[in-house]
Amino acid sequence: MGEVHKIVFMGAPGSGKTTCIRALSEIDPVSTDVPCTDELRDLKETTTVALDYGELQLDDGESRVLLYGLPGQERFSYMFDVVRTGLLGAIVLVDATSQDAVQELSRTLACHRADLRRMPFIVALNKSEEAADAIAERCRDAVRAHDLMAPVMAVDARRREDIAHLIELLLVILEFGFGFDQPGDPARAEGNA
Amino acid sequence: MSIDMPSQRQCLAALDRAMEHCQGIVAGMFALRDGRCYAERSRARVPVGKFAAMSSSLMALSNSVMAELAADSPGYLLIEGRTHKLVACKVPRGKVGLIVAVLAQSEVSLGLVLGYARTCAREVCEAEPTT
Repeated sequence: MGEVHKIVFMGAPGSGKTTCIRALSEIDPVSTDVPCTDELRDLKETTTVALDYGELQLDDGESRVLLYGLPGQERFSYMFDVVRTGLLGAIVLVDATSQDAVQELSRTLACHRADLRRMPFIVALNKSEEAADAIAERCRDAVRAHDLMAPVMAVDARRREDIAHLIELLLVILEFGFGFDQPGDPARAEGNA
Repeated sequence: MSIDMPSQRQCLAALDRAMEHCQGIVAGMFALRDGRCYAERSRARVPVGKFAAMSSSLMALSNSVMAELAADSPGYLLIEGRTHKLVACKVPRGKVGLIVAVLAQSEVSLGLVLGYARTCAREVCEAEPTT
């Protein structure tokens, strides 16, 4: 009997969470999209209001990864409570073309900071073409500003291999440790005492 | 907002009538399908934003569950707890789509809560279009 892992995709509306799960899932993904009724209509027609769900088989042929996509709007932040138990890690998506990309990332980090300190996560810069390095650096600053640690990587949410690579990286981070060893971390202070 | 939508005044009037007829109703809400409050009335303190968002999540999940099971799209959903009952149903009017959710004390029968929720939905469906 193989292991079952749970990974959650988070990020602002329109950052590419649903697209990631559609690209990666080996089953028909479950979606809870409804038409947008606010200014988000200018960006996309529909938005997730509960969760997206997909599944991925790992290379060992036995283990599976359950993929959960959460709504991006803060009013749906309670959905994290629904998926929290047994969560292995998170992928935080950022729409690099958004004028507020870094602020949107900061809002997500602030909203879920306590959970993100307990699990490995990766910041995935989606739609990043021009000035990707500059935005990536600002995203790293945002992660540090929230006293968190995570790699920042450019991806194309539509490309299965890009997202599969994120999952692999998450599993590697998990295997080799993601402890908070930055200065000021209480755990480290205790460990060094 | 779509001109085919009932006005917020019409929605509030429907909720007021339901709450006037049934003292056991704690709160009533018209929420937009994407989880924003459109009209709300309550006798007790309820987290309005969460109530709207959760009503939307529940209805969307119910749709997904039924679709995955190759079943019909649900017209309403019922949740019964020890102290309260919640009913949510779709308002079949307008492109945007509204959800009406009614929270009642456990003393009120499920049928009655569902009846009031569906009455609210029907009343705003039958209300004169607004511009």
